[in-house]
This record gives sequence, structure tokens and C-alpha cells, in this order.
Amino acid sequence: MQPESNDGKELGESAHARSASAWIQEHSPRVIWRSVFREDRLFLVLSVFIGVFSGLSVVCFRFAIDWSRLYLLGTGVVLTPVRMLLAPTLAGLVIAFLVIHFFPAARGSGVNQTKAALYIFNGNIPFRTAIGKFVTAALAIGSGHSLGPEDPSLQIGACIASALGRQMRLHRDHMRLIAPIGAAAGLAAAFNAPISAVLFVIEEVIGRWTAGILGSVVLSAVSSVVVMRWFLGSESLFRIPAVELKRPTELIAYATLGIIGGLASVVFSSGVAWLRPTCKSLPRWTQYLQPAIAGLLIGVIAVLGMPQVMGAGYEYIDQAMHGQFTWEFLAILAGLKILATLLSFVSGTPGGMFAPTLFIGAMLGAAVGGAQHVLLPHLTGSAGTYALVGMGVLFAGFLRAPMTSVFMVLEVSGNYSIIVPVLVANTFAYLISRGLQPVAIFDLLTRQDGLELPSLEEQREEEILRVEDAMQPAHDAVLDADETLDDAVKMLDHTEIDQVLVRLRPGGWGSVSKGQLLTMAGEGKGGAALGTLLSITPVPFLHPDHPLETALRYVDRWPVVPVVNRADFRKLEGVVTQRHVLERYREFGEG
Amino acid sequence: MASHIIARYRFHLRQRPAILVGLTVVAIAFFLAVTGLSRAHQAQRQALGNRWFSRGVADLNAQRFEAAVTDFRAALLYSPDEYSYQLNLAEALIGQGHRAQAWAYLMNLRDREPDDGLVSLELARIAVQRGETDDAVRYYHNAVYAAWPPQQEVKRRDARLELIELLLRNGAKAQAQGELIALAESLGPDPIQQERIGELFLRAGDYQHALGAFSDVLKADPHNAAALAGAGYAALELRRLPIAQQYLRAAVAANANDAASEERLRTTQLVMNLDPFRRQIPVNERNKIVVQAFQTAGERLRSCKMPAVTAASAGARPTLKDAWARLKPQITEQGLRRNPDLMETAMDLVFRIERDTSAVCGSPTGTDLALLLIANMHEGT
Repeated sequence: MQPESNDGKELGESAHARSASAWIQEHSPRVIWRSVFREDRLFLVLSVFIGVFSGLSVVCFRFAIDWSRLYLLGTGVVLTPVRMLLAPTLAGLVIAFLVIHFFPAARGSGVNQTKAALYIFNGNIPFRTAIGKFVTAALAIGSGHSLGPEDPSLQIGACIASALGRQMRLHRDHMRLIAPIGAAAGLAAAFNAPISAVLFVIEEVIGRWTAGILGSVVLSAVSSVVVMRWFLGSESLFRIPAVELKRPTELIAYATLGIIGGLASVVFSSGVAWLRPTCKSLPRWTQYLQPAIAGLLIGVIAVLGMPQVMGAGYEYIDQAMHGQFTWEFLAILAGLKILATLLSFVSGTPGGMFAPTLFIGAMLGAAVGGAQHVLLPHLTGSAGTYALVGMGVLFAGFLRAPMTSVFMVLEVSGNYSIIVPVLVANTFAYLISRGLQPVAIFDLLTRQDGLELPSLEEQREEEILRVEDAMQPAHDAVLDADETLDDAVKMLDHTEIDQVLVRLRPGGWGSVSKGQLLTMAGEGKGGAALGTLLSITPVPFLHPDHPLETALRYVDRWPVVPVVNRADFRKLEGVVTQRHVLERYREFGEG
Repeated sequence: MASHIIARYRFHLRQRPAILVGLTVVAIAFFLAVTGLSRAHQAQRQALGNRWFSRGVADLNAQRFEAAVTDFRAALLYSPDEYSYQLNLAEALIGQGHRAQAWAYLMNLRDREPDDGLVSLELARIAVQRGETDDAVRYYHNAVYAAWPPQQEVKRRDARLELIELLLRNGAKAQAQGELIALAESLGPDPIQQERIGELFLRAGDYQHALGAFSDVLKADPHNAAALAGAGYAALELRRLPIAQQYLRAAVAANANDAASEERLRTTQLVMNLDPFRRQIPVNERNKIVVQAFQTAGERLRSCKMPAVTAASAGARPTLKDAWARLKPQITEQGLRRNPDLMETAMDLVFRIERDTSAVCGSPTGTDLALLLIANMHEGT
């Protein structure tokens, strides 16, 4: 006994020694170091850096736009006609030259380029694009082209993120996702609205809800906003008026705004859909002149009495919100801003659509509000309330980002009492726009550029095949683990079934072939319960609401896969087989 | 040498921790660079804002409101939250007649600085122009109790004076009296202020305080014609006839062109002479006064066309004309001597006639006015 005991002690000591050495190995500085710098953790840290760099870049971008405006258009509110005509025209010539020869990827808004980086270029965006976007968009917006700084900021953020990801030599999966993280940071800093930025990036850039990068997107957006506010303050881009909804009947007025906004969105997006390919199809030499001609025409509009159409126009949104224009003037201004933005955008001038969309929405909203006050003087909503709702309406109708549109208005106004008017108006605008212009603006631009990128809007409305669509009724030959082998053989004696499902305890499922059962019965194991037999192989099970894709993972390895109730795993709802799944896909594909 | 070192440490430099340290250094450097840029940007904007603001102030002072609005708007481009820019823009907008826009700016300023007296005062003035008296009174009260550096008392007094003017214009005499009493307590012995207060008390119908205010003025300047006139008027309204006579006489002496005081002096003397109820008056003279008053009332009744009396009311009570005609034969000096009780009856009718005719034909003058005042004096109205 003693030697055994000694042996046991030695064995015990040796086991202790092994576990101690394993512990030391697990907690060695090298292992801890590697664990700390594991790529998924590093990714979160990197998101903060992306936010900081994007925030700083957006601050510089804002300064650049400001300086560009000061030196090109002058320091006053009243601009001289010469400057109004010359600044956008000459800037257009310079921009065209820079875009054609040095920064071809800087053309347009930047949202689609970021999306393309995610889906086509494995997250790679040349850093040169950021420089090009920064210079050309600052010049364009500062000189009075009717474009905004938000989408370029989004692209600059994505470029920075891509550059940092390359530097860190991230894995391909992480690298793909890094551009949207930068995009969210850039947009959040430009718009001073982190929630809207995160939602927009999910709705329009990533195109699907994925929990994998949500944390990183939020981290980068928040850090960029913190940096931006450090330098530029936390004030909104325009003063928000008091908002209240006194009578529910006023929702009719907001619904009217939604309808008018929806129609305006269709006009705007149809203009882009028609004019952009037309301008692109013109001879190459005209591309040197297109931004300049667009700038000249915008200058003419300004000289003729509407200088408000120039630039991003946030100061005029502020004035419209505080009832400083008549409703007739606001309506004309909204129409001319659509025209000016179309000219700038389709000419290939780098710049964003966010600010013009908000501008048009605000003018339209305030105009509709003003007109309704004339027609129905008892309405209590202020011009500012209608302008705020109008911004959301155009966002929902033109950019087709319904979630972002609602949260954007809430975040900007900081007032949740506006949510009902916003929901009502945005729903009308979105439905009208969706009905009259089936392809959303960003998808349209992508297709015009010859790309096919996933769209959340299409995915949202796509019919999804589920397991229940291919599920067949369960046949009678389902055995319980408690049944004996003899009983099972008797039950299967008169059937043609080859493969039998076995209900195991406590909640699993198994499968066994008829041949195996007969063999085991021949070996004299007839009295044994089925659950004790080793030849029963566990089978995965599905639920009826699972996507049919999930079934594809199993049906090639298991001839029959049980589909069970979610509340009671022992209750069989049906079965799926490879043949039935493929047949269902074929039927779906045919029509 | 440097390239040699870089080549030697390249492997380590490419490690992630090293890259993170490098990123941190770059981020700090970037941050510092943007801080520098931001300061330059802010300084430039501030300078531009100040420049446009100065132009705006010059234009505002010269009452070039349109130019001032443009200047202040330009200034606000560079400092959108600058309080003084917004306030001046609001004032320029008021000057330009764009009250709604000014109101929006002022409300915004009020949200930021609820204790700013000037903002409340401007809001009150716009509310007055809009005809929103209740709001105006509320904003005036805010202005009266707000902070007004550096001349707080003067500004508060001016705001309260504007409020009183508004209340008087709207016939809210009781409210105006309250404000005036509060104002008078906060005022020093400055004769000019006291004189103004006295006039406002007169307009508010508070003759007691008016007399007090004018008396204070006269202590400092006994020959102040306006104060003498005001004190005389207040004393007359208070039926302090000897004092009224004294002040009014002095007022007329100090300012021969003061026709109102002269008229009041005449009225005062008439009241004093025509009052048959005053003490220590010989019977003969009293009877003469009653006969004269009765005659005067009769003439007033003839000159003022009274509305036709309905049969029903006529049945209940004789008309003034009938009553006067019926009593006339008895109202002689002899008749009054025979029957002294007739004096009461005659004077009752005189007072009724003066009161009723003044209600129908307007305020009387001369002897009729004196009789009316005597009527009020003796009947407590």
C-alpha cells in the first residue's frame, strides 16, 4: 500500500507542478502582452484613435471652408455681385483640374466610395483621396457651390481609418469594417450628432445591422465629437426654437408637409438620376468646365436676389427657423436650392448632400408652416417647428434614411415632443418617395457608377425564406429513447423508412438507420432501450423561423433534420431534407 | 546613421504596441497643431466680428438701421453666440421695424440671461406695440427688478416710469398708483423727479401723494411755477380750498401765461364765495348766495337740453325744470328769510341740476363748475 501511496503522492506533486507551470505559462508577460494586444481589443483602441484623428481633421476641414469663404466671397453678409459670379466659377475650374488630374476619387459625395471600400476594396481607400477631398470640397463649399461638408467629412474619416488599419496590418475582416468606423467618426464630428452618424453609417454605408462593429462605430463617433466640441464648442449649427404640439389635429398639417416633402424629394432625386449620367456622357473636355459652369449659374441665381443658395447655408436655416422670411420667399428658396444643388452635384464637384438636403427641408417646412398659418390661423406650430420637421422629411424622402431622419431631428432639437410630428411627416415622405422613385439615391449613384452594393432598404424589403417554407410533415416513425430495440424493430417492420429520428432525453434528437437497428436486434440486444445504444448519432435540430440558409449547414451531413418547437424541443413540427431545401430555393428563384 | 538605426529597429517599430505609441505621439502633435490653428482661426473671427460690430454700432447711433442690421448679422457670422451682437441686432431690427425678428432674438437672449433688464425692457416695448398689454406689464416688471449695471437705479426708475405711462394710458389708475408709490419711495429729493412724480400722481388721481410731491419740490424751490400749479390743482381736488387758492395765486404770479391755473384759481374763489354752507356767514349774505346759485342753476338747465322724460318716470318724480319752476317763486331773499328751511331744498335742487346737466352736457365752467364742486364737497363724492 505504501509504495502505492508514495507513487500517488509523487503523481499528485507532479500534477501540481504541471498545473503551476501551466499557470505561469498562462500568466507570463508575453502571454498577457499578446492578450492585451489581441486584434479584437486592439480594434476598439484603434476606434478611439480613428475618432480622435477624424475629429481633428474635421475641425481643420471646417477651418479650411471658413477661410476659403472669407477669402473668396468676402467677410460680410452682403456679397458683391462680382465675387458671387467669379468665386464659384474660378473655383470650379481649379476643382475640375485637381479632380481630373490628381484626385479622381474625390468626386461626388463620398458615401458611396466608403461603401465601395467596405464591399469591394477590402476597406482600402488611398489616403490621397482624403487630401483631395479636403482641398477640393473646402474650395467648392467656401466658394459658394451648393454643397455641404458632412459627406466629405465622412469620407475623410473613412480614409483616415483605412490608413490606420493598413498601418496596423489588421486582419482582412477587420480591415473591411474599418472604413465605416472612420465614416461614422467623420460624420459625427461634422454634424455634431453622434447618434445620427452611427445610424446613418449603419443604414447607408454598412447596409446591415451587425453587432460586431457597433461598439467600435460608437466609440469612434463619440471620440470624434468630443474632439470637435473641444475646439468648436457644443452649440448646434443653428439655434433651435421652442417646439411643442398643442393640438393633435395639427398632425394633419405635418402630414401635408410630409406629402409635399416626399414630392420634392422625388423631384430632387429624379433630377440627379437624369442629369448626372447626361453630364457624365458629355465629351471629356467638358468635365474641365462643368463645375465652373455650375458655379457660374449658382452665381447668377445669387446675383438675381437669392445669395442664400450659396454654400452649406446653415445661417439661413437658422433664420428660416426663426420666422425671418415670408413663406413665399421660403418656397422659392427651396426650389432654387434644389436647382443649385443639382448643378453642383451633377457637375462632379466634390461636396456633400447632407447640408443642402437639410436646407431644402427647412425652407420647405417653414414655407408649408407659413402657408398653413395663413390658411388656418389657429395652428400653433411655429415656423421653427415646421422647419425642423421639414429637415427630417427631406432626409427620409431624399436620402431615404428613415431611422436616421427621426433621430437626427431629435438629436438636433433635443426635444422629444417633436417625435410624433416627425414620425408622421417622415412616414408620408418616405412612402411617397419609395413609391415614385423605387431606387434610393445612394443606390442610384452606385449603379450609375457601374457598381452593385448591398442596400439596407432592399434587404429590409427582401422576402426571406425560412425553414418552415421547406419543412415537411414529420412521418410517424419517430422513436423515443425509452423504447426497446425489439419494439422499434416491430414498429419499423411494415414501413419503407430507412432513417429514423429518435427523441433523446432530456431534449436532444438522434438518428439511426433501419439496417443498424436490425443488425443490433440480430446480435441479441433486443431488450435494450434505444437511448443506451451507441450507434444512435445526435442530430442538430432547427426551428421553423430559422432562415433557410441555416438548414443548408446541416442537410448535407444529416439526411433528415428535425424541426422542433421553440417552447418544447421534444415536440416535432416537421423535418427538412436536402432535397426539399433545394427544391424550395429552385421554386423561389423561378419566381 | 539614422537609416542604420531604423533598419536595426524596423522589426520592433512594426510591432503593434510600438505603432500605438507612435499613434499617440502623432495624435498629441496633431492636437497641438490644431490648437494653434484654432487659436488663429478664433482670433481672426473675433477681429472680424469686432470690426463689423463697431460698424454696426456706428450705424445704429446714426439711425441707419438697415446698414446696422447687415453689420450686426455679419458680426454674428463670426461670433454667433456673442450676447452684445445679438442685443444690438435686436435693437437695430426694432429700429427697422422688424419687430418679430427682434422678438425672436430678444427671447433667445432672455433665455440665456433672464436677469438682463435691457432685454426685458425691449421685449416690453415690443409687446406694447403689439398691443399685448399683459405681457408688456410682465416684461416691464422684469425690467424694473432686473440687473442694470452700471446705472441700475436710474435704469430701473426709467423702466418703471415707462410702465406707469403704459398703465395710465390704459386707464389702470390703481395699478399706476401702486407703481408710483413704489417709485416715489425709491426716489431722492431731486426736485425734477419729484415734480414728474407729482404730475403722474395727478394723472393717476392720487391727489394726496401729488400734493406731497409738489410740496417737496416747493421746499427746495418755492417759486417753481409748475410745482405751484400742480400743488394748487391737487389741493383744489382735495377741497383744501384756502391752500389751493394760495398755491394757485402763487402759480399765476410765477407764470402769467398759466391759463389753467388762472381758471382753477377763479373756480377756487367761486367755490369759496358760493358755498352757502360755510361757517360764520351772515344770514343775508347766505340768502343772496342761495338766490344766485338758484338762478345760475336755472340758466344752466335752460342752456342744456335734457332728454325727454318718459311718462312713467315723470309720474314718479317731477322733472328738474318743473321742480325748478315750482320752487322759483319762493327762492327770494325774503322768502328764504321767512322760511330758512327752503335753503336746503333750493341747494339740493341746484346740486341735482348741476350734476345731471354735467352728465348730459359735459363738464361745466365758471360758476356752474363751482356749484358742482360744492355739491361734490358736501355730498362726499
